[in-house]
Amino acid sequence: MSPTPITLERYLHHVKVEWPAADETAAGARVRLADRLPRTALRRMTHLGMLVGCVLEGVPLGSTDALIYATSFAESRALEDYLASFPSPSPLLFQSSIHPGGVQQVLIPRQQPIARLWPMAGRRRLIEQALLAALIEPAATVALVGGEERGTWLLEHGMASDTAFAFCTLLSTDPSGAIGRVEFARADGTAEACPDLQSFALALRDRQPLAWASSGGTWRLTWS
Amino acid sequence: MDLLPCQLEACDALTAFGDADASTTGLLAGLRALELTPVLGQAGGDPVPLALRGPLDETLPPRWLADLQALATRIPSGDWGRGRSPVVVTSCNFGVGSLYAYQRERDPRHVAPGAPFAAVELLQKALGWGDDLTVFSHACVTSHLGLSHAARLLHAGLADRVLVFSYDFLSPFVTGGFHSLKILNRGFPAPYSVGEIGSIGLGDGAAFAVLRRGVAASGGFTVQAHALYNEMFHVTGNQPDGAGFAACAATIATAAGGRRVWVKGHGTGTLEAGRLEAEAIARQFPGSPLVSWKGGLGHTLGSCGLVELAITVRAVRQGRIPGTVGGTDPTFGDHVALEPFAADAFDGIILTSNAFGGAHAAMLLTSS
Repeated sequence: MSPTPITLERYLHHVKVEWPAADETAAGARVRLADRLPRTALRRMTHLGMLVGCVLEGVPLGSTDALIYATSFAESRALEDYLASFPSPSPLLFQSSIHPGGVQQVLIPRQQPIARLWPMAGRRRLIEQALLAALIEPAATVALVGGEERGTWLLEHGMASDTAFAFCTLLSTDPSGAIGRVEFARADGTAEACPDLQSFALALRDRQPLAWASSGGTWRLTWS
Repeated sequence: MDLLPCQLEACDALTAFGDADASTTGLLAGLRALELTPVLGQAGGDPVPLALRGPLDETLPPRWLADLQALATRIPSGDWGRGRSPVVVTSCNFGVGSLYAYQRERDPRHVAPGAPFAAVELLQKALGWGDDLTVFSHACVTSHLGLSHAARLLHAGLADRVLVFSYDFLSPFVTGGFHSLKILNRGFPAPYSVGEIGSIGLGDGAAFAVLRRGVAASGGFTVQAHALYNEMFHVTGNQPDGAGFAACAATIATAAGGRRVWVKGHGTGTLEAGRLEAEAIARQFPGSPLVSWKGGLGHTLGSCGLVELAITVRAVRQGRIPGTVGGTDPTFGDHVALEPFAADAFDGIILTSNAFGGAHAAMLLTSS
């Protein structure tokens, strides 16, 4: 029996991607972004936290909205630094290393309550699962935020990203004024590779369309 | 609020006491699985209350893997992670203890399950799950997110059954962190009790639930509704007026309607959060008993919501609800139940969890 047709969609109303120079460090980002982030928070922020802060700059989130935060490696550098602090573990680095620290570093200084925060941490089908979470979220506005920071020794073991970046797109059910659209249509079929977080961020940055099949349906990102 | 009723087809848990039945029995007897243990394991340090299922230091393969494989034998059969049977995995720490082990021993095999996705992929391979697998990690409200997401998948018509699987096993990485925050100290937790110093205990925990859309038949349990709220006031603290606790409690109270409920609270043993939580529950659910089980189980971190759900189901079936193990008078209100009580006077249960960042979660459970 064929499954009941289901199509879920949301419209993209804001896209911001932060893609720093390949060799940017957290210290370098702190200088570059000094005017864009709260000074009191800046000195404690991780590289990923600063990049997330930039992509969320000016994003009108309300206390009834939802935010989905996708990252495979999360706070790699805070984790490395926290481990290095043993045998006297640092409370600050412990806090910073806990997922979803990257987005909390931004929303807490803004004192920005939010109804629902969905921090996700997969890899192979992370983007697909994050988009699905956005499509079934009842909030009027959903911010889909993602990103990574570059690791050091964890990177050598494949447990950290080789690239630092962050993105944010605001998704709503309102098509007016939209710049793009994401759609999931349920269908039987064979799963194809899902775009990884970095590919998705590049597609947002360059306004490139994406299409692929999951085991449960087809995905499409299109631009107006 | 998500009013998305889902029946619990099955659920079970693992704690330092054993499975959900053994954990319920232990709590009903007022037992404490917590034992004073050097905070950094082999490396020593202050003795702190931990409820462990094995040595604190990570092993090869990770010590959680065999336990999770054993727990998974109790999951009803299904083509999990494929077709219309997705899996939702939730954890706070995944395999991060292995990175601490690598740091100590420099054995590269320890790094393999270090990242969240890598730990989940190890588990996925061991349990034969397919790729339809969603991973959430939101500190100590994590398993509530998994259950809530599962309800949404079911009610959107995207799944017939969802397996939610949650685990958090301790390591010096975790215990060292909580000790650095000074809330994990030599004291045993006394949830909702007035005292000079707040203390938490930590515990290993794992649990699963299989959910289907709709209300359970007679004798079954239904997770009726979920509420989530994020204060974003402070990394480790809450709004001093308790507004975050109140917001989440008010939302789930709407779902509870006129039901006579008891409340399984978060109650880790910290003073300020315990007081704010107890006050919010008293205001929103006047006359409802409030219990915490973390004085017996330890705080099982990201798995606590699902671990305590599985124990709640066993307790209601047995007809006796464990009291607040470790709690002592005076408490933050007369509604704090220190002793076990009968389940039959109630027709609903509120289960709550809280987390860093001022995250709040609650669900309404009913039995048919």
